[in-house]
Amino acid sequence: MVRSRFDSQLEQLDIEMIKMGALCEEAITASMKAFIENDDAAAKVAFDKESEIDRKERDIEALCMRLLLQQQPVARDLRLISSALKMISDMERIGDQAADIAEITAFVKDNETKSKLHFRDMAAAAVKMVTESVDSFVNKDLKLAKSVMDYDDVLDNLFTEVKQELIDLIGEDRANGEFCIDLIMIAKYLERIGDHATNIAEWVEYSITGSHVKMGLEEGNK
Amino acid sequence: MTKRIFRAIFGLTMVMMLAVIGLVFGMMNAYFSSEQRDDLRSQAVFIGAEIQDGGLAYLEKIQKPSQRITWIDESGTVLFDSKANPQKMDNHKEREEVAAAFETGEGFSVRYSKTLSEKTVYYALKLDDGTVLRISDLTISPIALFFTMTQPLAIILLLAILFSVFLAFQTAKKITKPINDIDLEQPELAVVYDELAPLLRRIAVQKKQIHLQVRELQCQKQEFDTITSNMQEGLLVLDAHGDVLSYNIGALHLMGIEAPREKANVFQLNRSEGFRCSVEAALAGAHREEKIQIGGKVCQIFANPVLQEDTLAGAILLLFDVTEREEGERLRREFTANVSHELKTPLTSISGFAEIMKNGMVHGDDVPRFAGKIYDEAQRLIQMVQDIIGLSKLDEKQNTMEKESVDLESLIQDTVRRLEPIADKKGVAIAVNVEPAMITGVKQVLQEMIYNLCDNAIRYNYENGKVTISLENKENEILVTVSDTGMGIDPKHQARVFERFYRANESRSKETEGTGLGLSIVKHGAMLHDAKINLTSELKKGTKITLVFPN
Repeated sequence: MVRSRFDSQLEQLDIEMIKMGALCEEAITASMKAFIENDDAAAKVAFDKESEIDRKERDIEALCMRLLLQQQPVARDLRLISSALKMISDMERIGDQAADIAEITAFVKDNETKSKLHFRDMAAAAVKMVTESVDSFVNKDLKLAKSVMDYDDVLDNLFTEVKQELIDLIGEDRANGEFCIDLIMIAKYLERIGDHATNIAEWVEYSITGSHVKMGLEEGNK
Repeated sequence: MTKRIFRAIFGLTMVMMLAVIGLVFGMMNAYFSSEQRDDLRSQAVFIGAEIQDGGLAYLEKIQKPSQRITWIDESGTVLFDSKANPQKMDNHKEREEVAAAFETGEGFSVRYSKTLSEKTVYYALKLDDGTVLRISDLTISPIALFFTMTQPLAIILLLAILFSVFLAFQTAKKITKPINDIDLEQPELAVVYDELAPLLRRIAVQKKQIHLQVRELQCQKQEFDTITSNMQEGLLVLDAHGDVLSYNIGALHLMGIEAPREKANVFQLNRSEGFRCSVEAALAGAHREEKIQIGGKVCQIFANPVLQEDTLAGAILLLFDVTEREEGERLRREFTANVSHELKTPLTSISGFAEIMKNGMVHGDDVPRFAGKIYDEAQRLIQMVQDIIGLSKLDEKQNTMEKESVDLESLIQDTVRRLEPIADKKGVAIAVNVEPAMITGVKQVLQEMIYNLCDNAIRYNYENGKVTISLENKENEILVTVSDTGMGIDPKHQARVFERFYRANESRSKETEGTGLGLSIVKHGAMLHDAKINLTSELKKGTKITLVFPN
């Protein structure tokens, strides 16, 4: 009886995490739509999603704490819950950054310049990473999690490329300065979103295998 | 079972053993007691006779007698006792056996020691001189005897237990073996105990029932599976927690996923906003419809709660692929917008020219020119409306149009004759290269198709260009090819030129005065005749369109 209640709570945690992941995906997709298509309605959606994500984070945190205190889980269950706690903070950051991007989009509406730069690629890469990291959690897919970690390099390279393009743009005409600074912030946010997606993928790996490369956690010495 | 049998056997053994012990003891005791009594009496008679002769001296002569001998006078005073000093003994007149002897001549009594371990049997005999001689014998009591036997009894008890256990096991095994060996597939054939026959018959009947029910269920499930797997629509059945209970192939196809694992949560299949909202609404007990994008598809979801006696038991999701419908709707919207636009352009011109004339701003000489323009625009409008009517006819009445045998060769010749004036005006030469060919089709539609193709070939041609119309009658197919040396179609437009109102030339310039419906009519006509259209075109070199009719 006790165990089945615990199981159903773990299931509940899983579902809530999926929902929060979906919210993150929607937030980043909406903010990218706002940025690339100058869609103000989409920017509004991104803001709404951000507050919803914050609420979800608090809910999941409370659920995890309840599980930890009342059930005192061990081994795999404990790993699952502790990695969920870490993941939600990364997801929450993704939501924040999506909202930050949506906020800046109001000031950068020069489509022609934007389309010349590599922003479309960066946005696509960031959305892909977030989606796949959530997918890897949902399906407990280790291979997908690893591919998300690897894909971070692609996003980092794109960031360097965009940075260089913006430097050239300022070099051409100093009047571009303000516009370019807004753009570099967006680029940085996107790059950070990629990092958070990578973190999520790493915690997914930890929850499955019990080893977390960056934290120096290995199976057996946790 | 073994336990019960053991208990029964052991109980029986115990009862038997106790009964036997009781019986044997009782019999033995009675027998030995009477033996002892007789023995005592004969001794007393013998000793009594000796006392009469020898008196006290005889008694004192008896060395260590096995029995205790007591001699008592009439007053009850003990004169002699073989085991104790007579002076110290109290009066014996009131002793049971002595009193009886004084009265009747002899007396018996039995007395037990305090621990019940010993039994003393007394016999008193009244002698001729009035004195009483008493002889007593000390033996162990039956109870003490019983206690001395406890050890062998315990061994026997142990043996009885062991034997009972062994027997119980054996019996249980023997009883159950044939029962275990019953073939439950055919219980009625089993030959076991007669007592089990009713049970076996009942099992057989139930087995038949179960078999029938299972088959019925299997049939139902198969029916259900067949229906759901063959339907294009997706079907998902969820329990109250949102776990997937059942799904069909349609759902997997629509959602573009692999078969989910057992008891997967529905959000693992899809977590998009519309999907989440509809599932949550259904699990909260409300009906909900949503449209979601999955991959390139548009999917409509109907989410319904499943209620069982007012409590929520789960939800059913129906998924429809509405991509085509959405696309159709988009095309219709576009078509309406295009029609309005196309109709508005000539009408604006007509209205403009008419307004100028109404305001008297046109000289008498110019009136024919203006009227001519109005006439041209009106003609264009009429042509367009005709085209639209023709197209909708093709759309609506595809199946009701009557097909007849049509001579394509003469049809092409006629069409070319009709177009020659226009071609001459544009300075385009028409070359016809035909062979006899008969086709089953709708003459009017075929004529319109060929007219439109040739008309386009002339219209979008350069001056001194050339249009070639050829008809080839092959074994399996009839090819109608219209090629020109005109301006050609940009590859990016080639896929769309058959759409209604689509014009490769986006400016919709008046120079080429088309309605944008010609090729659309060709396409629908081709569909009506099961013909294929091949288009090859190179910008500024020319276009070649081939209609391939099945022969």
